[in-house]
Amino acid sequence: MRFTFRRGIHPEGRKHISSGIPLTDFPTPAQVYISLSQHIGAPAEPTVAVGDKVMAGTLIGKANGFVSANIFSSVSGTVKALMMRPTALGTKANHIEIENDGQYTKELLKPLEIINKESVIARVKEAGIVGMGGATFPTHVKLMPKNPVDTLLINAAECEPYITCDYRLCLEKAKEVVRGTELLMIALGVERAYIGIEDNKPDAIAALKDASTDNIGIIPLVTKYPQGAEKQLIYSILRRKVPVGGLPADIGVVVDNAHTAYAVYDAVDNNTPLYRRAMTVSGLAATPGNFWINTGVTYKEVFEKQEGLSDTAKVISGGPMMGFAQANLLPSVTKGTSSLLFLKESEFNEEPITPCINCARCANACPMRLMPMFIDQAALQDDIEELEKLNIMSCIECGSCSYSCPANRPLVMSIKRAKNLLRKQGGKK
Amino acid sequence: MDKFFVSVSPHITAKHTTKSIMLEVCIALIPAVIAAIFFFGFYSIFIIAISIASTVFGEYIFNVIRKKEHTIKDCSAVVTGLLLGLNLPVTVPFYVPIVGGLFAILVVKMLFGGIGRNFANPAITGRIFLVLAWAGVMTKFVPPIDWTKGFDEGFKFFSCILNGGGSEIEAVTSATPLGIIKGALSSNVNGLLSGENISLLDMFLGRTGGTIGETSALALLIGGLYLGIRKIIDWKIPVVYVATVALFALIFGGVEYILPSILGGGLLLGAIFMATDYATNPNTPIGTIIFAFGCGFITVSIRFFGGYPEGVSFAILLMNVVTPLIDKYIKPPAFGFVKPVKVKKSKEGNL
Repeated sequence: MRFTFRRGIHPEGRKHISSGIPLTDFPTPAQVYISLSQHIGAPAEPTVAVGDKVMAGTLIGKANGFVSANIFSSVSGTVKALMMRPTALGTKANHIEIENDGQYTKELLKPLEIINKESVIARVKEAGIVGMGGATFPTHVKLMPKNPVDTLLINAAECEPYITCDYRLCLEKAKEVVRGTELLMIALGVERAYIGIEDNKPDAIAALKDASTDNIGIIPLVTKYPQGAEKQLIYSILRRKVPVGGLPADIGVVVDNAHTAYAVYDAVDNNTPLYRRAMTVSGLAATPGNFWINTGVTYKEVFEKQEGLSDTAKVISGGPMMGFAQANLLPSVTKGTSSLLFLKESEFNEEPITPCINCARCANACPMRLMPMFIDQAALQDDIEELEKLNIMSCIECGSCSYSCPANRPLVMSIKRAKNLLRKQGGKK
Repeated sequence: MDKFFVSVSPHITAKHTTKSIMLEVCIALIPAVIAAIFFFGFYSIFIIAISIASTVFGEYIFNVIRKKEHTIKDCSAVVTGLLLGLNLPVTVPFYVPIVGGLFAILVVKMLFGGIGRNFANPAITGRIFLVLAWAGVMTKFVPPIDWTKGFDEGFKFFSCILNGGGSEIEAVTSATPLGIIKGALSSNVNGLLSGENISLLDMFLGRTGGTIGETSALALLIGGLYLGIRKIIDWKIPVVYVATVALFALIFGGVEYILPSILGGGLLLGAIFMATDYATNPNTPIGTIIFAFGCGFITVSIRFFGGYPEGVSFAILLMNVVTPLIDKYIKPPAFGFVKPVKVKKSKEGNL
C-alpha cells in the first residue's frame, strides 16, 4: 500500500539547499526578545521584573489558563525591559528583553521521580511544550483528549519546500525522537504509534527504523504536498477521516510533530524546558544552514549572518506554502519558527492577477475536496450563505489552490478573509 | 534594507499561466494546421490567419472602446480564432471568418465578461452562427487536393476568396463521411458503409471532405495526446465523449457505424479541443463525465435522427448551457463529510 492522500500538489522541493548541512548552534546575540505569545491561546503572564537576574531555563512567563504555555528564558542575564513588539504573524505581543551575559548558566526542572501518564503530562505542561510544526497548539491540551485515543502519530513529513530542520533532527537525533514518542505514548496511554516521514528522506527513515521499537512503526509517506497536514497525514497512514468540524481525537488519533516529541524527551530525560529549537535558514539569498537557535533571537540577527543581503527580496517565517512574509526584521524566533527563508526575486511569484478561467485546477488540487473558485466568487460578494454551503470552514489554508492557479488568483487570501467574516457573523448570532 | 515583498501565503506557484496554457493549446493544434495545408492547400492557412486576426482585433477594439485593460496578451483570442478557422470549409469567402471571428469574440466572449465568463465556447458558437447565416457556403465540402497534379494545386482554392468559388468548385463538391452515414441510415440498405463508399484509412489520415481542421483524426489525436500528457485538458471529457458516441452509434446503427461515427465529422476536433474549454464545462470530475456523456448522446441523436448530418457543435453548445446547472447540483462533499444522522423517532416514545 502507498501511504498517501488524494489530490494535493507537487511543488519543487528545494530542500537540497540546506539538507546536507548538520545542525550547529546559532550564536546568540547580546540581546534577546522573548515573546510571551509563542503559542495559540492566551499570552503568558510575565513572572519577572526589569532588573531581575535570570538563567537559561528560568520561567519568565506563566501559562495564563488551560490553553496557554509557560515561557522560559533562553539565556542567562538580566531582564532589561518588557515591551510590545511585532510578531511574525503581523500582530503585536508582549516581549521580554533580556541582556545575555554570555554564561548560559542553566536552570533545570526538577527530575521526575516516576514516569507515568500523569507525570509526563504535567511535565509537558510545565516545560511549556507546544506543537513545533508551526501551529504551536499547547501539547498538554492534546494529551488530555475527551474521546478515547488508540493511536499516536508523529508528524515528520516535512512537506513544505525548503524546510529541513525536522529531517536533520530525525537523522541526527533519531533515538531521542523515538524516546519522545514513547513518552507521548505513555502520556496518552496508547499501545501503537507511527512516525510518518516523506520518502524523499531515506537516510532519516533508516535512522528512525534503527532507533524504533516494535510498537512504533516508521511509515514512509509519498512525497506530496500537504502530506504533513494533520487530516491528510491521518488518512495517509490510518485511512481514517477526521469528520468535518471535528478533531483527530474524535477518531481516536493524536498527532504531534517530531520536534515536539524531541522536546518532550528533552523535558523528561534532561529536565530542560522548551526554549530553543532546530531551525532551517534557506533560500537562494541565504547562507543556508540548520541551526539550534534560542527563542528570542531577532530575525535581524539571523539576516545579518547572511551573505548577499541586497539580493533578499522576500523574507518568510515558516515555509513558502503557509509561512508568513515579513515586512521588517523585528520579530524574533519562537517555539514555532521552523524556518526563516531569504528569497531572491526569482524564487517566488509576483505575477499579476488575471481573471479566473474556470480550469478547475484549484479544485483538483484541494486536499479537502473544496471548490476554491466558487469560494473565491462567493467571498468577493460576501455571500455568507453560499460560503457555508461551500464548506469554507473545512479549508486548511494549505495553499494548494493558489499554487496551482494559472491566473494567479490569491485564493487563500480570499478564503482567509471570508473565514474571518464568517466567524464575526457567527459571533453576532 | 527592510524593503521586502509582503503577500499572503503561498509564496510560490506552479509555472503555468493562462498564457502558457493557451500557447500549449496552439502547439497542440499545429498538426491539425499542417494537415489542413496538406489536404486543402494554402488557402486554408489564409482562412486561419484571417480568423485569428479578426478575433484578436475584435478583443483589442472591445477593450479600447470599453476603456479596459488589454487582455489579448493572454492569447485566448488566438485559440478561439485558430479553432474557428479550423471549423470552416476551405471554400469560404474571406468575409466569413471575419464575421465569425468577430461574432465569437464580441458577442459570445467579451459581452459576457471576457475570458472565463463566456457561457458557451466562442469558436463553436461562431461556427453555428455562420452555419445559420451562410448555410450554403458552410455545408459545401470539396475533396482534398491532389498534389500529384503539381504544386499549383495548393493555391487552387484561392479562387473562392471573393464569392466561395464558381461552378468549377460546385462541380467537385463531394459527400462527406457523415453524409454517407446519413444516407445509409435512411435507405436501410446493408453494405452502404462498405469500403467502397467509405475508407476508414482515408478518414483516419484526413483524406476526405470536411472542414479544414476536422478531417485528419491522426493530427487531432496527436494534439490531444500532447494536451493530455501535459495535463492541459481533462482526458475524461474526450474519452467519455467519444465512448458515448461509439455506444449510441452501436445502439442506433450497428457495429459498422462505430468507427465512421468516431472518425467522421468534427467529433475529435470538438471533443479534444472545444468540449474541453475550461469556462464552459463543469468543474467536478462527476460533472465533467455527465457533460461529456450529454455531448456524446446529443451528437449521435442529431446525426442519426436530426435534420443536420453533423451534431457536434450543437451538442457542445447545448451542454455548455447546461454546465452551470450541473455545477450547481454536482458538488463533491468535503473531505471527512459526514451525513447528518436523522434521528428516528421511536413509535413507542421514550421508554
